[in-house]
Amino acid sequence: MQLNALCLPATLASLDEIACYVLDLAGQAGLPDEPSYRLRLAADELATNVVMHGYRESPGELRIVGGMDEDTVWIRMEDDAPRFDPGANRVPPQTQLPLAQRTIGGLGIHLALTSLDDFSHSYADDHNSSTLVIRRHDHDDRPDDRCGDDPTPK
Amino acid sequence: MPFSVSVTTSADTATIELSGELDAASAPAFHDTIEKAAAAGVGHVAIKAHHLTYMASAGLRSLVFARQKMGEDVRITVAGATAPVARTIRQAGFDRSVTLVDE
Repeated sequence: MQLNALCLPATLASLDEIACYVLDLAGQAGLPDEPSYRLRLAADELATNVVMHGYRESPGELRIVGGMDEDTVWIRMEDDAPRFDPGANRVPPQTQLPLAQRTIGGLGIHLALTSLDDFSHSYADDHNSSTLVIRRHDHDDRPDDRCGDDPTPK
Repeated sequence: MPFSVSVTTSADTATIELSGELDAASAPAFHDTIEKAAAAGVGHVAIKAHHLTYMASAGLRSLVFARQKMGEDVRITVAGATAPVARTIRQAGFDRSVTLVDE
């Protein structure tokens, strides 16, 4: 099952609509609140990253489509910004350092990727395509500090 | 739910009340408020998050800014964070520098 695709201007003003789309999909899939929140957080962070760092706030387009199968709920996000693989460029935050000594970059990608059960990225025909996946079932209590988890393919 | 932020300063504490959804689009308002609290020179920033239903990394960045601007001697607390907001704070390892309190 797949929802109608969404095509939005790549601006921060589109984040609300993306959230509504993702939460609607999560609701249709019957996802509990906790994994729904994680899917929304991941989509929000990755979309924000495309707007701020991919297109660098210049005009562009974000295309989003979501769907579900028996085991997973997924979102595919496409953009025409320069090639960028969030998984390959992930810099884990320095969680052991006090905030006063931290550098800020990379936090959004870290949150996105540690919120998902699976993530993949491809680049073809000048498009980035990221696929965000959450399992529909077997939502065990996840540890609060998931800094060591990495859903990106090895 | 739209984001809103308010601040009241009394004695040595700046109390910042957050509600709604804090994402990259709404974070500048929070950041401005943190700046005001920093300028007030208080010893405690008390963030009330009981009605904060969502927080993205943009909100966390304002907490980093607060800590870096105010220094380690200023106490920063986040009270009443909902489970997902508290989890996001822990996920980023911020609970070592910002105190999460249930109240």
